[in-house]
Amino acid sequence: MNLDWSVIGENFNYLMAGAELTIIISILSIFLGFVGGIFIGMCRISKNPLIYYPSTAYVEAFRGTPLLIQIFLVYLGLSSFNIQLSAWDAGILALSLNSAAYQSEIFRGGIQSIPKGQMEAARSMGLTYNQSMFKVIIPQALRNALPPYTNEFCTMIKDSSLVSAISVMELTWSAKNVISVTFQPFVVYIFIAFLYFLMTFVTTRFMRYLEKRYAIPGMMGAE
Amino acid sequence: METPIIEVIGLEKAFGDHMVLKGISMTVYPKEVVVVIGPSGSGKSTLLRCLNRLNEPTNGKILFQGYDIMSPDIDINVVRSQMNMVFQNFNLFMHLSVKKNVTLALTSVKKITQEEADRIADETLLKVGLTEKADAYPGQLSGGQQQRVAIARALAMDPKVILFDEPTSALDPELIGEVLDVMKKLAESGMTMVVVTHEMGFAREMADRVIFMDEGVIAESGPPEEIFTNPKNERTRIFLKRILKEIEDMDPLKPKYETPELAPEAEGVKAAEEGYKWSQEHKEPDEQKRWLGFKFLKRDKKK
Ligand SMILES: Nc1ncnc2c1ncn2[C@@H]1O[C@H](COP(=O)(O)OP(=O)(O)OP(=O)(O)O)[C@@H](O)[C@H]1O
Ligand SMILES: [Mg+2]
Repeated sequence: MNLDWSVIGENFNYLMAGAELTIIISILSIFLGFVGGIFIGMCRISKNPLIYYPSTAYVEAFRGTPLLIQIFLVYLGLSSFNIQLSAWDAGILALSLNSAAYQSEIFRGGIQSIPKGQMEAARSMGLTYNQSMFKVIIPQALRNALPPYTNEFCTMIKDSSLVSAISVMELTWSAKNVISVTFQPFVVYIFIAFLYFLMTFVTTRFMRYLEKRYAIPGMMGAE
Repeated sequence: METPIIEVIGLEKAFGDHMVLKGISMTVYPKEVVVVIGPSGSGKSTLLRCLNRLNEPTNGKILFQGYDIMSPDIDINVVRSQMNMVFQNFNLFMHLSVKKNVTLALTSVKKITQEEADRIADETLLKVGLTEKADAYPGQLSGGQQQRVAIARALAMDPKVILFDEPTSALDPELIGEVLDVMKKLAESGMTMVVVTHEMGFAREMADRVIFMDEGVIAESGPPEEIFTNPKNERTRIFLKRILKEIEDMDPLKPKYETPELAPEAEGVKAAEEGYKWSQEHKEPDEQKRWLGFKFLKRDKKK
């Protein structure tokens, strides 16, 4: 076994460019998934069957199939309908659609963790449904949902490596390239594993900070 | 005659095929304090929650200041902003400071500026004696303080009427008095109130009219002296005997029948064998709390 660690130094800038794209892809799809998740989550608590059932079907479909297949479907499958997205766009779209499904469940769980007396009190004072939702329910729901959101964000960072399968030039794809010329798979993979770890670690610390920052005085979790 | 604040005509409410309110008619005039009593499950909360359409009535009419609140022309949110509700479990907004709890509806429903709303909040918090807690969060307050904030939150809206649904039932016994005191002050200041409660002391002292509900109908209604000393309805009698019997039974400090205010009921208590048995089966911590609140109020009155 000969481990040549110098290949990291030699390809450092190339790998860092990949890491940068991974960070951008992750942030974009986490953000789009977040917004989409709130929308789908609101649909999932609707009493209107025309809203409830389609949104439920959406969540089931994305939760029940492999993310890799979803990526292929968006990138290659859509071209059968003459919709041709770039690998970059398709990758981000697939990741966002997938994350929206998971994040909608997290959001819904957060909403349903709020006692229904909160909504009743808000409505009984004359607030509309939307006002009650945005001023009373959602601010509390998001706080409660921070820990599961943290999980989902970390998952997204790691799963973004799957878009390397459609040749998006992110970290994992760059690593494969480096390996194909250096023949140092262990060294390169351990290095990028460490980079992924750094990204998720920073994410968990940041989310932990948000939890503390927005803890409600007098409630569990606050000092 | 003054326009009634609330007029209920033939109100019916069913959950599925379970009929909970079976034709309720009642009127609440300005400055009146109407106390609703009755056994658990008789539909008291449902009645209150129909008044502001938190529960949608199945049948009947509800007029608020002469306007049919079921009519499609009525903005129910405007009605609700003038007919506030205080809940058994306070339902304060946990993520907002006490002051923000009070100002939220002022700014978002009444569209008052934040500064003006803050001023109103200061004023109402002073009335419930919680000025120093303005920046605290509900989770940092005792139950009694939380309920006083809830009352301030309702009061700040300058409502035409406040609906109370068992406002002291979730409180530790020693905290009931402070909430009842605030409610008494409110009543004395001329606020129109509909109060569902098991605090017979409050009912006797503050009510203009007591409504006894049983199995979804108003079994009896009248001034408190009449209802408490000379109930006409058999069910009212049994209910009162049960509640008052418990009060006697549980009071270690008061010698039986020596408290003049209690004497008339105590009479009835002596004879109430069935009421006694009932109370034996129903001595839950909840009931004891209610009783202690009664005691607290009586003492206050003597001072
Ligand atoms: N949302 C609901 N769905 C179905 N049934 C309900 C609902 N709310 C109340 N009920 C039923 O209506 C009946 C009356 O309930 P309600 O809460 O009005 O009684 P209450 O007089 O307030 O009793 P308590 O003193 O225990 O508060 C009960 O049998 C209850 O089970
Ligand atoms: Mg009730």
